Amino acid sequence: METIITYNAVHHNPWGTPITIYFWLVGASAGSFVLSAFGWVFGIKRYKPLALTASILAIAMLMIVPVLLIWDLGKPFRFIYLMLPGFWHGTAPMAWGSLLILSYPISMFVYTYFVIKNDQKWAKIIGIIAIVLALSTHWYTGVVMELNPGRYINHTPLAPLLFLTGAFISGIGLMILVLWIQNQFMREEKKIKWALMEEMGQYMMYGIVFDCFLLFLDFMQTQYGTASENIGHHTVLMEIFFTPYVWLEAVIGLIIPLLILVSPLKRTRLGVYSASLLVAGGVYGMRIWWVMGGLYMQSFY
Amino acid sequence: MTTENKHEGSTHHLREYGAQTPGTKGIPGKKRYSMVIDLRKCIGCMSCVVACKAEYGVPLGVWRTWVMVADKGRYPDSRRIFMPRLCNHCDYPICVRNCPTQATFKHEEGFVLQRYNRCIGCRTCVVACPYNARHFLPAKRTNNNLPKLVVDKCTFCIHRVKKGLVPACVQACVGGARVFGDINNPKSEVAKLVAKERVSVLKPELGTSPSVYYIGGDWEIMDETHNYKNRSAQQKAEFNTFKRNHHGDAFGDIVEGENTMHHVGKNMSDFLASIQHKYHDVVAALKQLLFG
Ligand code: SF4
Ligand code: SF4
Repeated sequence: METIITYNAVHHNPWGTPITIYFWLVGASAGSFVLSAFGWVFGIKRYKPLALTASILAIAMLMIVPVLLIWDLGKPFRFIYLMLPGFWHGTAPMAWGSLLILSYPISMFVYTYFVIKNDQKWAKIIGIIAIVLALSTHWYTGVVMELNPGRYINHTPLAPLLFLTGAFISGIGLMILVLWIQNQFMREEKKIKWALMEEMGQYMMYGIVFDCFLLFLDFMQTQYGTASENIGHHTVLMEIFFTPYVWLEAVIGLIIPLLILVSPLKRTRLGVYSASLLVAGGVYGMRIWWVMGGLYMQSFY
Repeated sequence: MTTENKHEGSTHHLREYGAQTPGTKGIPGKKRYSMVIDLRKCIGCMSCVVACKAEYGVPLGVWRTWVMVADKGRYPDSRRIFMPRLCNHCDYPICVRNCPTQATFKHEEGFVLQRYNRCIGCRTCVVACPYNARHFLPAKRTNNNLPKLVVDKCTFCIHRVKKGLVPACVQACVGGARVFGDINNPKSEVAKLVAKERVSVLKPELGTSPSVYYIGGDWEIMDETHNYKNRSAQQKAEFNTFKRNHHGDAFGDIVEGENTMHHVGKNMSDFLASIQHKYHDVVAALKQLLFG
């Protein structure tokens, strides 16, 4: 017996490109901030010279976020309701997120101030708070879609980990590119050492391996999971979202950079810079399939 | 399953966090409005859809209630089946739990309602609802006084129910398929039907405890995955045409079989274009705040 659906109302995917860009920006911001904190919070002295650039980059990316998010609302002026007592709704992930998106840049500003003042004690204290907020802000981008049991592709506890790992590698990738540009304008003694960038490239490689592992776990879940998870993977991700899922994320964002970073090319500037570019761009592919792909199947129900 | 009494071995755990009003199904002394749809009686005339559109001026392209149609079997052993859809007025609504501004809330008699003056149009509730029961109102409406750019949904016609009438769709149903009433009252028709007949609800595994029950539901039309896999070619084409031609308000629509990245880009330009009409809204809100 076969049943063919011949008529149904058409439904929209409620979120689109602005949200995908926002997820990418928050991630890259959190990733850059982690690098900034290496020197001042975790005490790895050789990272101190890049701390300021990293935190400014993190702040700059986060400044674009409210523009996207607020104008994506139907009623932009009412964004303030997200923070007003009497409106704020404690069980809604988005309500947590709005507090995080507000407090994370503030903590970064204060941290950057102490870095400029060269105040080790306060930079460390505020840095710890900022790094917790950075990770939480990005954790939230994972859970805001995960905590919807009806969205089968998104409803996985791996979501925050996938986001945080993507954040880490895209943040490093972007940072390496920014440092390369910065070096073009610096005096010789102020330039960031190549050895440091090479080391960052290696961190990126570990992140890529972990990201591949997470994707593999997710893949296994879809193979042995429910019909919805299975169809979600086979027809939504592998067919309709093939470009962002396979080409952009897996091939451009993970496989090619991984091959570069485990080969002798990892010692060359061309190798590290191109791997950084590919990773930073490839992570955006994940943001596309996660948001638009995650919402796709149900729009036919 | 007649009614679920959480004090007496309910199948549902307490999922009341964020629901603002505790679940009332089976709680003595409380009302719990519900709907039973007897699919054996539905003839697919869509009168309910028209009645709903007329009652609320529901804009083109969005629905508070609609009727799904499927063809079952092969000629000559075939038949056409229908399934009316609407908000399930869940006892544990995910939309309410996840709305960041409490714009959507649960009435103590079971209605899940929308407060337009609180809604910021973030569409989190649309993401949360597993049943596509919510829609975003467009920027242009025939009657300028009706809400715009906020989310809307079925209200179980609370304005009629409070006056002792049944919802507009129930009133208009020619086959008498839609039955409405307080399921907590054992004398009501809905309570009797749910007690006597085999009923099913949509996606029961999600723990939403829907208050729309179907008699004679066919699993294939009720299952989202089956639905997605078994669309007719005509339906696929209709969806694609609709999504391809839809502009504005940042909907992340991708058209099957066309370049995904092109639609990602189109979506971004639609978003930028939508800023223009939202901008007027912001200016008006600011003026009101400053000058009253
Ligand atoms: S059907 Fe959807 S909109 Fe209606 S109450 Fe349930 S979750 Fe909310
Ligand atoms: S769109 Fe409105 S009702 Fe829906 S979650 Fe956002 S504020 Fe709440």
